[in-house]
Amino acid sequence: MERSKQGSLHGPNEKRDAGESAGKGYGTGGGRTRRPGAPAGDSCGSPASPDVETWREERARSVEDNQISLPGLAAAYTTILRGLGEDPQRQGLLKTPWRAATAMQFFTKGYQEEIIDILNDAIFDEDHDEMVIVKDIDMFSMCEHHLVPIFGRVHIGYLPNKRVLGLSKLARIVEVYSRRLQVQERLTKQIAVAITEALQPAGVGVVIEATHMCMVMRGVQKMNSKTVTSTMLGVFREDPKTRDEFLTLIRS
Amino acid sequence: MNGHCTSRKDAKDEFRLPGLEAAYTRILRELGEDTDRQGLLRTPLRAAKAMQFLTKGYHETIHDILNNAIFDEDHDEMVIVKDIDMFSLCEHHLVPFFGKVHIGYLPNKKVVGLSKLARIVEIFSRRLQVQERLTKQIAMAISEALQPKGVAVVIEAMHMCMVMRGVQKMNSCTVTSTMLGIYREDPKAREEFLTLAKHA
Repeated sequence: MERSKQGSLHGPNEKRDAGESAGKGYGTGGGRTRRPGAPAGDSCGSPASPDVETWREERARSVEDNQISLPGLAAAYTTILRGLGEDPQRQGLLKTPWRAATAMQFFTKGYQEEIIDILNDAIFDEDHDEMVIVKDIDMFSMCEHHLVPIFGRVHIGYLPNKRVLGLSKLARIVEVYSRRLQVQERLTKQIAVAITEALQPAGVGVVIEATHMCMVMRGVQKMNSKTVTSTMLGVFREDPKTRDEFLTLIRS
Repeated sequence: MNGHCTSRKDAKDEFRLPGLEAAYTRILRELGEDTDRQGLLRTPLRAAKAMQFLTKGYHETIHDILNNAIFDEDHDEMVIVKDIDMFSLCEHHLVPFFGKVHIGYLPNKKVVGLSKLARIVEIFSRRLQVQERLTKQIAMAISEALQPKGVAVVIEAMHMCMVMRGVQKMNSCTVTSTMLGIYREDPKAREEFLTLAKHA
């Protein structure tokens, strides 16, 4: 099955009419409709492997899509409230289905955004060949396995090759990919690949330290556990000294 | 208070699971996700079970927990259990809020097993909640079980509905308290509790 590149999106109402689970992900990256023969979405391929969707090929959910899906989402949340034994008619819960639905759309707003829109005008030619680091970027995501928050910090470093990026754009790239149903490994890689493709730098390093509420609030219930993932590309992967410099600078 | 306090049982949970699963499948599709991709295949079931766990407080009653752990003890000084980790769900957005609960009480001939204070926190926090109501429910439960001279409960929590969305204030912390009995009437007792709970 091929990824659809047509102009019209598979909107939620179309999926309902079709009456089947034919929904195609709106640019989740990693794991949605794959090219034939491509490996499974969550495997660790090389940065250029087909299982990591490149940022130029994403389709976006739109504000109109959100408005169309809202009643269906609210109805699903009403079902959930009843299914938990609560009374959806009590005062505190009356508007909860709508609030929860809007909140969930906000938590997945990364599907509405495209890297190309964020980056296009903030790449500058600059003769700088030393490392650039933006660290302690607050990150909030949703675990795709339990639909429970993940939050933490992202540290990004890159070695420019004649082109630099507006600094806030690094944080915006984090936002686009984190505001989705995610797996921390994939999130780390997507951020690194997006920067690589936008700038063609000499190298990129991304480190994410995060707390997973699915491990803290339920399951093993380990309050203080943190998950750390990293992706090192180009000179950050090949040269241990560069990698060391990056890791030292983000720790200080 | 929490509307009707249903006592939800395990069998009922099992019975309700398919409906919850279907609701989560619908949510994933309405968000534009592909429910057939590998990472999401069992997500509706996991999310439904997670939500049942996060609201398991509806299952549990104070009566079951406390009945055999109240002891006659001639102790008339303050007892404090602080920094009890608490995780709850905002009933307005269905998004977690979490933090610490500090409990103090002045016994009146009866003391309670210390872990039972933490279990009381669990019963009321594992529900769809509002922080003000949670604080009061914990205080009232201890009051009714022990008839102590006073009960004090302070909760400091971070609300993901304020941090992850909406105003997006990363470092904001909400503090609520309920003071009953001598903690309400006597400023010195209240001060002693607040000092010990915060600093000691």
